[in-house]
Amino acid sequence: MLRRLSVIAVAGGLFLMPAGMRLAWAGDASAGKTVFTNVCSICHSVQPGQNKIGPSLFGLVGRKTGSVPGYSYSPANEAANLTWDEATLDKYLQGPRAMIPGTKMTYGGLKDATKRADLIAYLATLK
Amino acid sequence: MKHKIARNGVSCARDAFLIGGLAAAILAPIRPVAAQTAIQHPLPHALEIQQKETQEQLEVLSKHKAPVGPAAAHVLGLYRQHAEQERAYILPPLTLLPYLAEGKINPAMAWALPMLERTRAEKEAIFNQHTEIADALNALSQAGIASHDRFAKEFAESALADDLNDLEILEPTLALIEETLHAKLPAAH
Repeated sequence: MLRRLSVIAVAGGLFLMPAGMRLAWAGDASAGKTVFTNVCSICHSVQPGQNKIGPSLFGLVGRKTGSVPGYSYSPANEAANLTWDEATLDKYLQGPRAMIPGTKMTYGGLKDATKRADLIAYLATLK
Repeated sequence: MKHKIARNGVSCARDAFLIGGLAAAILAPIRPVAAQTAIQHPLPHALEIQQKETQEQLEVLSKHKAPVGPAAAHVLGLYRQHAEQERAYILPPLTLLPYLAEGKINPAMAWALPMLERTRAEKEAIFNQHTEIADALNALSQAGIASHDRFAKEFAESALADDLNDLEILEPTLALIEETLHAKLPAAH
Protein backbone atom coordinates (compact mmCIF):
# COMPACT_ATOMS: atom_id res chain seq x y z
CA MET A 1 0.00 0.00 0.00
CA LEU A 2 2.70 2.42 1.05
CA ARG A 3 4.75 1.54 -2.02
CA ARG A 4 1.74 2.13 -4.28
CA LEU A 5 1.13 5.50 -2.63
CA SER A 6 4.74 6.54 -3.11
CA VAL A 7 4.62 5.56 -6.79
CA ILE A 8 1.46 7.62 -7.19
CA ALA A 9 3.07 10.54 -5.34
CA VAL A 10 6.15 10.44 -7.57
CA ALA A 11 4.03 10.18 -10.72
CA GLY A 12 1.89 13.06 -9.49
CA GLY A 13 4.96 15.11 -8.80
CA LEU A 14 6.26 14.50 -12.27
CA PHE A 15 2.91 15.43 -13.75
CA LEU A 16 2.90 18.68 -11.81
CA MET A 17 6.51 19.51 -12.76
CA PRO A 18 6.76 22.76 -14.80
CA ALA A 19 6.82 22.12 -18.53
CA GLY A 20 10.23 23.78 -18.94
CA MET A 21 11.94 21.48 -16.45
CA ARG A 22 13.59 18.31 -17.61
CA LEU A 23 14.96 15.32 -15.85
CA ALA A 24 17.46 14.67 -18.66
CA TRP A 25 18.45 16.24 -21.99
CA ALA A 26 18.36 14.23 -25.18
CA GLY A 27 22.08 14.61 -25.82
CA ASP A 28 25.33 13.72 -24.11
CA ALA A 29 26.68 16.77 -22.29
CA SER A 30 30.19 15.36 -22.11
CA ALA A 31 30.31 14.89 -25.89
CA GLY A 32 28.71 18.30 -26.20
CA LYS A 33 31.63 19.89 -24.38
CA THR A 34 33.92 18.59 -27.11
CA VAL A 35 31.62 20.03 -29.75
CA PHE A 36 31.67 23.35 -27.93
CA THR A 37 35.47 23.36 -27.75
CA ASN A 38 35.87 22.55 -31.43
CA VAL A 39 33.12 24.72 -32.85
CA CYS A 40 32.10 27.49 -30.46
CA SER A 41 34.96 28.31 -28.11
CA ILE A 42 36.80 30.60 -30.51
CA CYS A 43 33.91 33.08 -30.19
CA HIS A 44 32.16 32.21 -26.94
CA SER A 45 33.19 31.78 -23.34
CA VAL A 46 31.31 29.70 -20.78
CA GLN A 47 32.42 31.91 -17.92
CA PRO A 48 29.87 34.31 -16.44
CA GLY A 49 30.43 37.89 -17.54
CA GLN A 50 33.14 37.03 -20.04
CA ASN A 51 32.12 38.14 -23.52
CA LYS A 52 34.37 37.42 -26.49
CA ILE A 53 33.46 37.90 -30.13
CA GLY A 54 30.09 36.46 -29.06
CA PRO A 55 28.34 36.78 -25.69
CA SER A 56 29.06 34.50 -22.76
CA LEU A 57 26.95 31.35 -22.91
CA PHE A 58 26.83 30.93 -19.16
CA GLY A 59 23.17 30.70 -18.17
CA LEU A 60 22.10 30.50 -21.81
CA VAL A 61 19.27 28.02 -21.43
CA GLY A 62 16.21 29.80 -20.13
CA ARG A 63 17.35 33.33 -20.92
CA LYS A 64 15.98 35.69 -23.52
CA THR A 65 17.75 36.54 -26.78
CA GLY A 66 19.84 39.70 -26.63
CA SER A 67 20.07 39.84 -22.85
CA VAL A 68 23.69 39.48 -21.78
CA PRO A 69 24.84 42.70 -20.13
CA GLY A 70 27.72 44.51 -21.81
CA TYR A 71 27.45 42.72 -25.14
CA SER A 72 26.57 44.66 -28.27
CA TYR A 73 23.95 42.55 -30.02
CA SER A 74 22.74 43.04 -33.56
CA PRO A 75 19.39 44.85 -33.77
CA ALA A 76 17.94 41.60 -35.13
CA ASN A 77 19.01 39.57 -32.12
CA GLU A 78 17.82 42.22 -29.68
CA ALA A 79 14.41 42.31 -31.30
CA ALA A 80 14.03 38.52 -31.67
CA ASN A 81 12.23 38.15 -28.31
CA LEU A 82 12.86 34.42 -27.98
CA THR A 83 13.77 32.28 -25.01
CA TRP A 84 16.65 29.89 -25.48
CA ASP A 85 15.49 26.35 -24.81
CA GLU A 86 16.10 22.99 -26.47
CA ALA A 87 13.75 23.69 -29.36
CA THR A 88 14.91 27.23 -30.14
CA LEU A 89 18.57 26.28 -29.77
CA ASP A 90 18.14 23.27 -32.02
CA LYS A 91 16.60 25.42 -34.73
CA TYR A 92 19.09 28.27 -34.30
CA LEU A 93 22.15 26.04 -34.39
CA GLN A 94 21.03 24.52 -37.69
CA GLY A 95 21.24 27.95 -39.30
CA PRO A 96 21.49 31.11 -37.18
CA ARG A 97 20.82 33.55 -39.98
CA ALA A 98 17.81 31.57 -41.21
CA MET A 99 16.16 31.79 -37.81
CA ILE A 100 17.20 35.34 -36.93
CA PRO A 101 17.81 37.21 -40.20
CA GLY A 102 20.34 39.96 -39.60
CA THR A 103 22.17 38.23 -36.78
CA LYS A 104 25.89 38.91 -36.90
CA MET A 105 26.81 35.39 -35.79
CA THR A 106 29.02 34.22 -38.66
CA TYR A 107 28.34 30.53 -38.34
CA GLY A 108 26.84 28.43 -41.11
CA GLY A 109 25.20 25.91 -38.84
CA LEU A 110 25.74 22.53 -37.19
CA LYS A 111 24.00 20.08 -39.48
CA ASP A 112 24.63 16.92 -37.44
CA ALA A 113 21.55 16.40 -35.22
CA THR A 114 23.42 14.26 -32.68
CA LYS A 115 26.15 16.86 -32.23
CA ARG A 116 23.52 19.55 -31.87
CA ALA A 117 21.71 17.58 -29.17
CA ASP A 118 25.01 16.93 -27.38
CA LEU A 119 25.98 20.60 -27.59
CA ILE A 120 22.61 21.72 -26.26
CA ALA A 121 22.85 19.23 -23.40
CA TYR A 122 26.24 20.72 -22.54
CA LEU A 123 24.98 24.30 -22.79
CA ALA A 124 22.19 23.38 -20.37
CA THR A 125 24.81 22.53 -17.74
CA LEU A 126 26.22 26.07 -17.77
CA LYS A 127 24.56 27.53 -14.70
CA MET B 1 76.87 49.32 -82.21
CA LYS B 2 76.33 52.85 -83.54
CA HIS B 3 79.64 53.07 -85.38
CA LYS B 4 79.15 49.63 -87.05
CA ILE B 5 75.85 50.78 -88.51
CA ALA B 6 77.47 53.96 -89.92
CA ARG B 7 79.74 52.07 -92.33
CA ASN B 8 77.16 50.83 -94.92
CA GLY B 9 74.26 52.89 -96.25
CA VAL B 10 70.96 51.03 -96.91
CA SER B 11 71.79 47.86 -95.05
CA CYS B 12 72.81 49.99 -92.09
CA ALA B 13 69.50 51.78 -92.13
CA ARG B 14 67.63 48.46 -92.25
CA ASP B 15 69.78 47.06 -89.48
CA ALA B 16 69.21 50.17 -87.41
CA PHE B 17 65.46 49.79 -87.90
CA LEU B 18 65.56 46.13 -86.88
CA ILE B 19 67.87 46.71 -83.96
CA GLY B 20 65.85 49.68 -82.82
CA GLY B 21 62.66 47.68 -83.03
CA LEU B 22 64.21 44.79 -81.12
CA ALA B 23 65.56 47.11 -78.45
CA ALA B 24 62.18 48.76 -78.09
CA ALA B 25 60.50 45.36 -77.74
CA ILE B 26 62.99 44.25 -75.09
CA LEU B 27 62.99 47.51 -73.16
CA ALA B 28 59.26 48.34 -73.35
CA PRO B 29 57.22 47.23 -70.29
CA ILE B 30 55.14 44.11 -70.86
CA ARG B 31 51.53 45.21 -71.10
CA PRO B 32 48.54 42.97 -70.69
CA VAL B 33 46.62 42.28 -73.87
CA ALA B 34 43.45 43.76 -72.41
CA ALA B 35 44.55 47.07 -70.99
CA GLN B 36 42.76 48.17 -67.86
CA THR B 37 39.72 50.01 -69.16
CA ALA B 38 37.80 50.60 -65.93
CA ILE B 39 39.04 53.28 -63.59
CA GLN B 40 40.18 51.52 -60.45
CA HIS B 41 39.20 53.56 -57.44
CA PRO B 42 41.58 53.45 -54.50
CA LEU B 43 40.77 52.14 -51.03
CA PRO B 44 41.33 54.01 -47.79
CA HIS B 45 45.05 53.54 -47.28
CA ALA B 46 44.64 52.05 -43.79
CA LEU B 47 42.57 49.22 -45.26
CA GLU B 48 45.04 48.66 -48.07
CA ILE B 49 47.79 48.20 -45.51
CA GLN B 50 45.58 45.93 -43.44
CA GLN B 51 44.77 43.73 -46.43
CA LYS B 52 48.43 43.49 -47.37
CA GLU B 53 49.48 42.58 -43.83
CA THR B 54 46.75 39.96 -43.44
CA GLN B 55 47.72 38.33 -46.70
CA GLU B 56 51.42 38.34 -45.76
CA GLN B 57 50.73 36.76 -42.39
CA LEU B 58 48.61 34.06 -43.99
CA GLU B 59 51.34 33.37 -46.53
CA VAL B 60 53.81 32.88 -43.68
CA LEU B 61 51.41 30.59 -41.81
CA SER B 62 50.77 28.59 -44.98
CA LYS B 63 54.39 27.50 -44.86
CA HIS B 64 54.07 26.08 -41.33
CA LYS B 65 53.91 22.33 -40.93
CA ALA B 66 50.57 20.54 -41.00
CA PRO B 67 48.00 20.95 -39.68
CA VAL B 68 48.58 24.71 -39.48
CA GLY B 69 50.00 25.10 -43.01
CA PRO B 70 47.07 23.56 -44.91
CA ALA B 71 44.55 25.28 -42.62
CA ALA B 72 46.19 28.63 -43.26
CA ALA B 73 46.35 27.95 -47.00
CA HIS B 74 42.61 27.35 -46.98
CA VAL B 75 41.99 30.66 -45.18
CA LEU B 76 44.34 32.41 -47.61
CA GLY B 77 42.41 31.14 -50.62
CA LEU B 78 39.10 32.36 -49.21
CA TYR B 79 40.62 35.64 -48.08
CA ARG B 80 42.13 36.43 -51.47
CA GLN B 81 38.74 36.02 -53.17
CA HIS B 82 37.05 38.21 -50.59
CA ALA B 83 39.80 40.84 -50.67
CA GLU B 84 39.51 41.07 -54.45
CA GLN B 85 35.83 41.88 -54.14
CA GLU B 86 36.57 44.40 -51.43
CA ARG B 87 39.08 46.16 -53.65
CA ALA B 88 36.82 46.04 -56.71
CA TYR B 89 33.63 47.50 -55.24
CA ILE B 90 33.04 47.07 -51.51
CA LEU B 91 35.69 49.38 -50.04
CA PRO B 92 36.35 52.20 -52.53
CA PRO B 93 33.22 54.21 -51.55
CA LEU B 94 34.72 54.59 -48.08
CA THR B 95 37.15 57.12 -49.58
CA LEU B 96 34.21 59.54 -49.71
CA LEU B 97 33.83 59.55 -45.92
CA PRO B 98 36.14 62.47 -45.12
CA TYR B 99 34.26 64.64 -47.64
CA LEU B 100 30.81 63.55 -46.51
CA ALA B 101 31.82 64.18 -42.91
CA GLU B 102 32.47 67.81 -43.90
CA GLY B 103 29.19 68.07 -45.76
CA LYS B 104 30.93 68.19 -49.13
CA ILE B 105 28.92 66.42 -51.80
CA ASN B 106 29.30 66.80 -55.55
CA PRO B 107 28.00 65.00 -58.64
CA ALA B 108 31.42 63.49 -59.31
CA MET B 109 30.77 61.16 -56.35
CA ALA B 110 28.13 59.28 -58.33
CA TRP B 111 30.75 56.70 -59.32
CA ALA B 112 30.25 55.16 -55.89
CA LEU B 113 26.54 54.43 -56.28
CA PRO B 114 26.74 51.31 -58.48
CA MET B 115 29.34 49.88 -56.09
CA LEU B 116 27.22 50.60 -53.03
CA GLU B 117 24.11 49.20 -54.66
CA ARG B 118 25.96 46.07 -55.66
CA THR B 119 27.28 45.56 -52.12
CA ARG B 120 23.76 45.96 -50.75
CA ALA B 121 22.32 43.52 -53.29
CA GLU B 122 25.01 40.96 -52.43
CA LYS B 123 24.68 41.39 -48.67
CA GLU B 124 23.69 37.78 -47.92
CA ALA B 125 26.27 36.32 -50.28
CA ILE B 126 28.94 38.47 -48.62
CA PHE B 127 27.72 37.33 -45.20
CA ASN B 128 28.07 33.71 -46.37
CA GLN B 129 31.66 34.46 -47.38
CA HIS B 130 32.31 35.79 -43.88
CA THR B 131 30.80 32.59 -42.50
CA GLU B 132 33.12 30.45 -44.62
CA ILE B 133 36.11 32.54 -43.58
CA ALA B 134 35.06 32.28 -39.92
CA ASP B 135 34.80 28.49 -40.19
CA ALA B 136 38.24 28.35 -41.82
CA LEU B 137 39.72 30.60 -39.12
CA ASN B 138 38.25 28.35 -36.46
CA ALA B 139 39.92 25.39 -38.15
CA LEU B 140 43.21 27.35 -38.18
CA SER B 141 42.81 28.15 -34.50
CA GLN B 142 42.15 24.49 -33.69
CA ALA B 143 45.18 23.50 -35.78
CA GLY B 144 47.25 26.04 -33.86
CA ILE B 145 46.08 24.65 -30.53
CA ALA B 146 46.82 21.08 -31.62
CA SER B 147 50.32 22.06 -32.79
CA HIS B 148 51.09 24.42 -29.90
CA ASP B 149 51.45 27.10 -32.57
CA ARG B 150 50.56 30.22 -30.65
CA PHE B 151 51.02 32.53 -33.64
CA ALA B 152 48.44 30.57 -35.64
CA LYS B 153 45.93 30.54 -32.78
CA GLU B 154 46.31 34.23 -32.01
CA PHE B 155 46.23 35.23 -35.65
CA ALA B 156 43.00 33.30 -36.18
CA GLU B 157 41.33 34.90 -33.16
CA SER B 158 42.42 38.38 -34.19
CA ALA B 159 41.30 37.84 -37.78
CA LEU B 160 37.91 36.68 -36.58
CA ALA B 161 37.46 39.95 -34.72
CA ASP B 162 38.37 41.81 -37.91
CA ASP B 163 35.78 39.73 -39.74
CA LEU B 164 33.17 40.96 -37.26
CA ASN B 165 34.29 44.53 -37.95
CA ASP B 166 32.93 44.16 -41.49
CA LEU B 167 29.49 43.31 -40.17
CA GLU B 168 29.32 45.73 -37.26
CA ILE B 169 30.95 48.78 -38.85
CA LEU B 170 31.64 48.45 -42.56
CA GLU B 171 28.20 47.30 -43.66
CA PRO B 172 26.23 50.01 -41.81
CA THR B 173 28.74 52.65 -42.91
CA LEU B 174 28.31 51.74 -46.57
CA ALA B 175 24.53 51.85 -46.11
CA LEU B 176 24.81 55.36 -44.67
CA ILE B 177 27.04 56.51 -47.53
CA GLU B 178 24.55 55.19 -50.06
CA GLU B 179 21.66 56.85 -48.27
CA THR B 180 23.51 60.16 -48.11
CA LEU B 181 24.44 60.12 -51.78
CA HIS B 182 20.91 59.25 -52.86
CA ALA B 183 19.53 62.00 -50.67
CA LYS B 184 21.96 64.72 -51.61
CA LEU B 185 23.18 64.12 -55.16
CA PRO B 186 21.25 65.80 -57.98
CA ALA B 187 18.04 64.02 -59.01
CA ALA B 188 19.61 62.21 -62.00
CA HIS B 189 21.28 59.81 -59.54
